[in-house]
Amino acid sequence: MTGHAVLRRDPAVAVAVVVLWLLLALFVVYPFATLLARVLVDRGSFSVEGLATVLTDRHQVRAFWNSLLLGVLVGVGGTIVGFLFAFTAARCRLPRWLLTVIDAAVLLPLVSPPFTTAIAMIFSFGPRGLITYELLGLKGATVYGLASTLASEVMTYFPIAYLTLRPLLAAIDSNVEGMALSLGASRWRVFRTVTLPLCVPGLANAFLLLFAASLADFATPLILAGNQFPVLPTQAYLQITGLFDLRGGAALSLVLLVPALAVFLLQRYWVSRRYYVTVTGKGAGQAPFDSVSPAIRAALLAACAFVALAILYFYVLLLYASLVVALGANHAFTLQHYRVIFTEGLKVIGDTLIIAGIAMPLGGLYGILLGYLVTKKSFPGRRTMEVVSMVNYALPGTIVGIAYLIAFNDPPIELAGTALLIIACYVFRYGPTGIRATIALLQQIDKSLEEASQGLGAGTGTTFRRITLPLILPAFFAGLGVVFIRSMTAISATIFLVSLSWSLITVKILENMTELSLGPAAAFSVLVVVIVFVVIAIIGRLLRVFRAPGAAQVTSMLGG
Amino acid sequence: MNPHRWLFRAARAAVAFALGAAAFAAHAADTVNVYSIWPENWARPMFEEFEKATGIKVNFVRFSSGEALARVTAEKNNPRIDVLFGGPVETFAAGINEGLFEPYKSPSFARLPARFRHADGLWTAIADDPLVFMTNEKFLKEHNLQAPASWDDLLAPVYRNMLQMADARTSGTAVTRIFSVLEVNGRDENKAFDYMRKLRPNIQLYTKSGGGGTLPVGLGQAAGGIFFIVDALDTKAKGYPVIISFPKEGIGTAAEGIALIKGAKNPDVGRKLIDWATSPAMQNHYAKYRINFVPAHPDVALEPSLAAVLKGTNIFAIDAAYAGANRKRVVDRWIAEVLNP
Repeated sequence: MTGHAVLRRDPAVAVAVVVLWLLLALFVVYPFATLLARVLVDRGSFSVEGLATVLTDRHQVRAFWNSLLLGVLVGVGGTIVGFLFAFTAARCRLPRWLLTVIDAAVLLPLVSPPFTTAIAMIFSFGPRGLITYELLGLKGATVYGLASTLASEVMTYFPIAYLTLRPLLAAIDSNVEGMALSLGASRWRVFRTVTLPLCVPGLANAFLLLFAASLADFATPLILAGNQFPVLPTQAYLQITGLFDLRGGAALSLVLLVPALAVFLLQRYWVSRRYYVTVTGKGAGQAPFDSVSPAIRAALLAACAFVALAILYFYVLLLYASLVVALGANHAFTLQHYRVIFTEGLKVIGDTLIIAGIAMPLGGLYGILLGYLVTKKSFPGRRTMEVVSMVNYALPGTIVGIAYLIAFNDPPIELAGTALLIIACYVFRYGPTGIRATIALLQQIDKSLEEASQGLGAGTGTTFRRITLPLILPAFFAGLGVVFIRSMTAISATIFLVSLSWSLITVKILENMTELSLGPAAAFSVLVVVIVFVVIAIIGRLLRVFRAPGAAQVTSMLGG
Repeated sequence: MNPHRWLFRAARAAVAFALGAAAFAAHAADTVNVYSIWPENWARPMFEEFEKATGIKVNFVRFSSGEALARVTAEKNNPRIDVLFGGPVETFAAGINEGLFEPYKSPSFARLPARFRHADGLWTAIADDPLVFMTNEKFLKEHNLQAPASWDDLLAPVYRNMLQMADARTSGTAVTRIFSVLEVNGRDENKAFDYMRKLRPNIQLYTKSGGGGTLPVGLGQAAGGIFFIVDALDTKAKGYPVIISFPKEGIGTAAEGIALIKGAKNPDVGRKLIDWATSPAMQNHYAKYRINFVPAHPDVALEPSLAAVLKGTNIFAIDAAYAGANRKRVVDRWIAEVLNP
């Protein structure tokens, strides 16, 4: 049966497909095309001059290589830390409470605005830093540069690696390792020749996800990179906000496109096909034997504890900063900063919650709708739709934000300054997580399951409701969760979209920080962490209530 | 339930949500829309006083001068605001080149000295803001130093990698600083850039915003820097141990402006805000809210403690015409020779 025939037979599918295509054209294709046109068209004629100016400027070229270097280092470092945590959680037979502690420590950086650790870094290192000077007595330490940016980004993004690797490690049938052990291999040999090779695709996947996250992050380098280590996303931002050069900024952001797309394609079409282990949904409990020797177990635990303590330290410092008059000058207890954010900041909190609250269900719906259609229905342009839907997700936020700013300011489609534009940005940028989750879940559902249902006399409707829908519900919740977390914490794209009528907490935090209003910045950050924690806990509870197979796997997508 | 009916419903719900969201975007017409370059904690009390005095509500969002100018430029064909409020007048000069403003002369206009107003009324000054040296008291004590009293004092090796000041790509503070260096070197550009290159090793960080370095200096993470007096006095008021000093060769001051946007949707209320802000009605409130700007209007008295800080100092005005004509070239040279040597 051809795609056209399906559309004729299924008007509802046809309507859904048309609506989705219209939305994708408006919010993905059109802004991106406008961005390209802005960079490549000069007074009506095609010109690569704008791009060439950027590519030949040696400072921008240096910033480009710096971005790649930072991305690679964050990828490697974050994957190592993530693997350390995942391996410890999956193989060290930890008591339940310790697993909870690890999960909480990992979740913390994931649910906070990306630059919160950067604030704490500024206080802890440097000539008078709490750690370098007060604790270690070092003088002349410097906080700005590659090292601190790297440390901050690793700490912020390693949870993505953890969430990618932990289900993988848990899914490796422990019998395979057990057999190797009983055949006389040492634990190290088992790890080296069995466990690690099985993890390679997961490691590669984690590396690429981290690389992409670092490539998109402009706030951390803005605060920590200093003048010796310029990176491209920050340069693009400064080009626009500082030098009033929209075209140059757009050109700079386009340069980022090449590595971003390369990584995305690699991740999607190479790594994801090389998963040796598929998640079966069978309860993959902990191995019935000791995978690691007691000494190694202690070492792993110590290493995890060290990282967890570092994270905890940074967040405690943040909480402390929100509760004292002026950190470093006057440490008297005060609730003044919270009073400020709940009076003057109330509008921005309301705006953010409204935007996140609307974007959340739309993003979840969009995810399962598009995921369901491209997996289960055949219609013309199905593959193209899947790829197009991933574009905003794959691009660094700076590019998306600039493209939206340029595309929607003037008629014919004038949306600048509206909440709709910010919501659309979040839905189409973070909804794809729900799409991926839906596709992954639907592919795992054996056709025979649906056939069996129909064979037993159930109609298509009943089959869909009783079989398919419950199976993809976790994807819906994953989509909800990701869109909500990002709506509360993202900044790279939406800093270009805030307006007189609609602003966002993250933008406010960054503004407060650059204005030395550290107390309100810290109080806002604490508030965001608390809100997101509560919402994620509710979603987690819902997932458990529906107890669908694959729920655990989908929870892990909250990181991506 | 039929799966396709379900799809239908889902699509319908999505459209309904989108329309609902669009409805949120509407905004009231009896308010004046403003981008404020002044930080919120100074702009907000001013706008509240304005509302109290006139009943007109100010709908505002804060951007740094570069961000605000980039916004207004991007929105040129379809302006979203009526008034650009605060920020050094060199930002307004850059805006004039883009054709962003509508001329307007408020009742106070004629009373202001020439350097506090654009000849054609494209902007008007609401305050004056001198630059100062600000150093960490503990750092000075530890190294047995006096507060720097000359531009050359900042070149001392003891400050190596310990000064923070603003980045000329984003900050009007930095541009005023660079033109100050030019003035004290008799506008000899090569000599001025020589000085700035010599100062470069002492710079720990060029910050995005003008006040970005005040907190690190307050904390002792940096030893000192060059800031606007409002930011420096604010740091001191928060309790950080900092000392404010002035170079004997002199240092520049920048006027803070206000301007009506060309094509503004509510020009009448916009003009009312400009009338109010350029008059003693607003500038008398500076002292009350501890905003340490020097009032631009001659009828407003300088607050005594601010007058004491400024007593006996050598402060000169940056020539707006000269700065406007040379700004881009000088900033580009700064990026090439000082920032990225």
